[in-house]
Formats: sequence, C-alpha cells, structure tokens
Amino acid sequence: MDELLDLLRELDPEVDFENEEALIDDRILDSLTILALIADIEETFDVTVPAVEIVPANFNSAKAMYEMIERLQEEG
Amino acid sequence: MITFSSYFDTAFLVLFLPVSVAVYMILPRQNLRRVWLLLCSLFFFWCDGKGLLVFILLSTLFMHHGGLWLGKLQNELDAALTDLPKEEKKAVRERFKKRKRLVLAFFIALELGMLAVLKYAGFFVNNLNGLMGLFSSGTRFIVPHFLLPMGISFYTMQAMSYLFDVYRGKLAPDTNIGRLLLYMSFFPNIMEGPICRWSDTAESLWNAERVTYERLTRGAQRILWGMVKKIVIADRLNPFVQNVFGGYDVMEGADLLHFDFTAYPGWVVALAAAAFTLQLYAEFSGTMDFALGLGEIFGVHTPENFQRPFFSLSISEFWKRWHITLGTWFRDYVFYPVSMSAPVKKLTTRARKKLGNRFGPLAGGAVALFAVWIFNGLWHGAGWNYIFFGMYHFTLILLGNIADVVMIRFSEKTGFKRDILPVKLFRIFRTALLVVLGELFFRAPTLRQGFSMCGRIFTQFITNQTVSRAAWGVDWKDAFIVGVTAAIMLVVGLLQEKGKGIRERVSEKPVVLRYLFWYAVVLFLVVFGAYGAGYIPVDPMYAEF
Repeated sequence: MDELLDLLRELDPEVDFENEEALIDDRILDSLTILALIADIEETFDVTVPAVEIVPANFNSAKAMYEMIERLQEEG
Repeated sequence: MITFSSYFDTAFLVLFLPVSVAVYMILPRQNLRRVWLLLCSLFFFWCDGKGLLVFILLSTLFMHHGGLWLGKLQNELDAALTDLPKEEKKAVRERFKKRKRLVLAFFIALELGMLAVLKYAGFFVNNLNGLMGLFSSGTRFIVPHFLLPMGISFYTMQAMSYLFDVYRGKLAPDTNIGRLLLYMSFFPNIMEGPICRWSDTAESLWNAERVTYERLTRGAQRILWGMVKKIVIADRLNPFVQNVFGGYDVMEGADLLHFDFTAYPGWVVALAAAAFTLQLYAEFSGTMDFALGLGEIFGVHTPENFQRPFFSLSISEFWKRWHITLGTWFRDYVFYPVSMSAPVKKLTTRARKKLGNRFGPLAGGAVALFAVWIFNGLWHGAGWNYIFFGMYHFTLILLGNIADVVMIRFSEKTGFKRDILPVKLFRIFRTALLVVLGELFFRAPTLRQGFSMCGRIFTQFITNQTVSRAAWGVDWKDAFIVGVTAAIMLVVGLLQEKGKGIRERVSEKPVVLRYLFWYAVVLFLVVFGAYGAGYIPVDPMYAEF
C-alpha cells in the first residue's frame, strides 16, 4: 500500500490520497493521469490492468486501487 | 396515421403523452404496466417509420443472442477454472478470451453493420465516386439513400455497450428479450437519447413502478422547463439561424430572389453562430429535460446528459458537461481500450521516460483521443463538416492539455493565480467562443460553406450591407424574449451550480407560492412560446444523428 501511495503522491503531491474517496467522481484524477498511473502500477506491481478494470469503483480511492492490484496479482 | 416529428409535436403533447401516462397510472399490475410501456414505445417507433421497426427488433435480437452466447462462454470458463492449478489458469483464460472476442466481434459487426449501411453508405459511395472522378474513370456507383430508423445512432450505442459489458463480465446476460426490447426502445429516450447503460436504467425500467404524486409533479415540472427552452428559445431563434446558414428568399416584383450568407456582414454571421449554439443547447437540453422528466414520472433512472456546459473553463471540461452520455460511452469503449492496447501503452511508457510525468501521458492519450474524436465526428453524421468538427475539438483538447501543463508550471514559478474570478471568467468566455466557432462548422451545410462563413467573420466583420427585416427573420421582440429567457436559464444554471436546483427551492415554499410559480411558468410558455404563423418549430436536432 505504501508503494502505491508513493506512486500517487508523485503524480500529484497536493492530493490527500490516503483519505480521498472520490478521486474519479470529483474529477481529481483525469483520464490522462489515469494512463500515467496505470503504467506505474503495471511496472511496480507486475500486473496488467485491462481496460475493463478502468471503472470509477476501482480508482476512486487508494484502497480500491490496492484491492484491484491484489486481485489482478491473484488472477495472475 | 399520426407521426411524431418531436416530443413537442401537438399530437404527442395532447394525445400520446397524456394517454400513455394516464393508462400507465390506471393499470393495477406491474406486468401490465411493463407491457403498456413496451406497446407505447413500439407504437411510437411504428408511427415514425412503419417497417423500419424491423431494424430495432433485429438489433435487440442480436444483442439478446450475443449476450447469451458470451454468457455461456463465461460459464464454461468459470467451470474450467475450478480446481485448476494457478499456473494453468492463465492459458485457459487466454483460450476463452479469444473465443469470446470472436463472438463479440461478430455481434458488434452486426450491430454496427446496420448503422454503417443505413447511415454511411451514401457518404462512402459519394466519396468513392469523387475519388474515381479524380482518376477520370467513367465508372460511377449509384449513391444509395436509405431511410434512417428513428434513434438508430442512440440505440445502437446502447446495444453495443450491453454487449461490451457482458463480454467484460460486468453484466450477466439477460434471457428475457422483452426486457431488452424495452431498454432499447423506451420512447422518451429514443429520439435524442440520453444513451443509457443497462446497469443504470434497465432494472428501474422493468420495475414499472406506480406513479407517485411527487414523481408526477416533479417530472411535469421538468418537462415544462424543457418546453420553455425548446419553444421559447430554440423555435424563436429558428428563422434567423435558418436564414443565415441556409439562405433566404425575397420577392422583388415578380422575381423570387435567393440570398445566401454573403448577404450578411461578418458580425451577423458570428451572431448567427452564437444563436445556433444557444438554439442547439436549448433544443437538445430541453429535449433531455423532457425525456428525463417523463422518465421520472415512470420511475425510470435516466442518466443526465448536460451539466451546465457553458460554465466550463476548458474545452475538455465542456465535453464532460455536454452530451455526457456520449462522452462517457467513448471514454469507456474507445478511449481506455485504445490507451490500454499494447502499442499505445508502450508509447506512453516511452514518452514518460523522455518527457516526464506531465507531458509523457499526452503521447498515448493523443492517439486514443484521436480515435475518440474521429468516431465522435462520424457519429454526428456522414459528412466532412462533422469530421472536421471532431478534429477541431481533438486539436483544442490536445492543445488545452499541453497549455494546462505549461500554465501549472507558470503558476508555480510566478505565483499567478488561475482560480480567481476574473481569470475564471476569461476562461469561461474563451471556451464559449471556441465552442461557437466549432458549432458554425457543425451547422454549415458543407465544409466549404463553413470555411467561407468563418472567413467572412474574420475578414469582413463590418461591411456597408444593410440587413433587412426579411433577412433577419426575427425582430427585436424575438431578440428581447430570447435574451430574457436565456438570462433566466443562466440564473437557473447558477443556482444548480450552487448545488440546489430551482425545483428543490420552489418545493420548500408554501403551497400557494408553489402553484403561483408554476402557473407563471406555464403562462410564460404560452405567451412567449414561438408558435403559430411565421414560426416553424425546429426539428429535433440530434434526432437525425
């Protein structure tokens, strides 16, 4: 989880990623930032994020993202 | 036989609408209400195009079969994965993914094929003939002209999103074809959208809940507001917009003379582009108010299509607030799949290493955005002006993203504040101007005329031409009424931006005030609506797309 938070902070240091729960719904992360973030996630966690996973529910909070990463790792 | 050219048609307003709602309210059982909604929807469709009904039935059938087939493959995959060691799971998943992709491609081709043939065949053959003319070949193909089934561009998108979502495992396929047909043909949404998603709308639609007093009044209020926008603004502006974009005729003695946009100085052309933008917004968002209001009466959850787009600070934001359901469709089914495809991902990663975190993602994003805007332009119609319109917005969004990064750096270095009111107002005004310019090309009958009109604004803004009453098509009273109504729209929009809409505010007032308020709105519509001699109501602008 700390690794993910580091990635997020690098993208935008001004956002409180630990507590924010509407990153997509409140348009804090736009679609281009999502692209950068996914590239980071794939590199750091050795997973492939398919387009189908890019839904608000998976990216609204750091927690949701981490759950998605764990699931993708599990699925191999 | 009745035909409904729009929801604001007298036959629809005094006959179809009250009968459909009243019978729905009387029917005691859920099943009957469902069937009634379906019958109303099919009848509405039948009135428009008779035999064209077959296309929506076919589209639903493909969606139904495609969904079931994909669901069956998913079930087989789930069964195959149980008790399988982890290392073997990946190979099995890959095998099924290929099969599912084939099935998906087949059904998407069927859905898109109908749209492509009916909507684009003429455009394609026309351009092919033009190309062959270049090489002086004598062969010419006959240009086909098909009648377009009502709402085909909208319901095809709904069918495709359903198939994509079942393929992605986000939806379980539905076995009940009646439920699918109602989702595809629901009459309030068929003409101009919004483009619904199965997961948002289908369940509430099939629930066919009883009408409650609260929903009935709230829905009626929204319909009334939609009518004000459409009949007071869009219809009243129609003669002026038609005259400038389409030309006008004047009788001189025994001769009928035709004038085109060159009869106007550039500033009037610019005014017409602005008037068209306002007209389009009033017509389209007014129809959405109508559709959503009607949906509210029937207890259907319909997604919002507009969120006060003219408060946008950038073009990118504008498209998140204008025709929202089309934008989110392209985002989910074009933008992300293209961005997540292996070559584009590689491009993003490489660009980030060279250009950094801020500029880097723009490279991959640009490829995906290009795909989105080509499709967006084409979706609006088979014409080069629509393709230009798409490319215009693609360029603006891309430049806007680059400028955004530059401005953030500039702000960091100089302390320049972008969130103070004067800067915000400037950005809102600039965005609106850019939108108006784009709409000029959108409305112009040909791309060539779009460029000529644009050129006239920039090179002959003021001329010594006088614009006659016949050339204006409207008078100062029309301008005044439109101005006042647009100002009311602005106030309503500002209230909504603050988080509380006009309906909520009025509903908190004492009953007498509430009635007086809504009575005043009805009176306003009756007195200031543009109908009768001299006015031709504007056709549903998005219905032809």
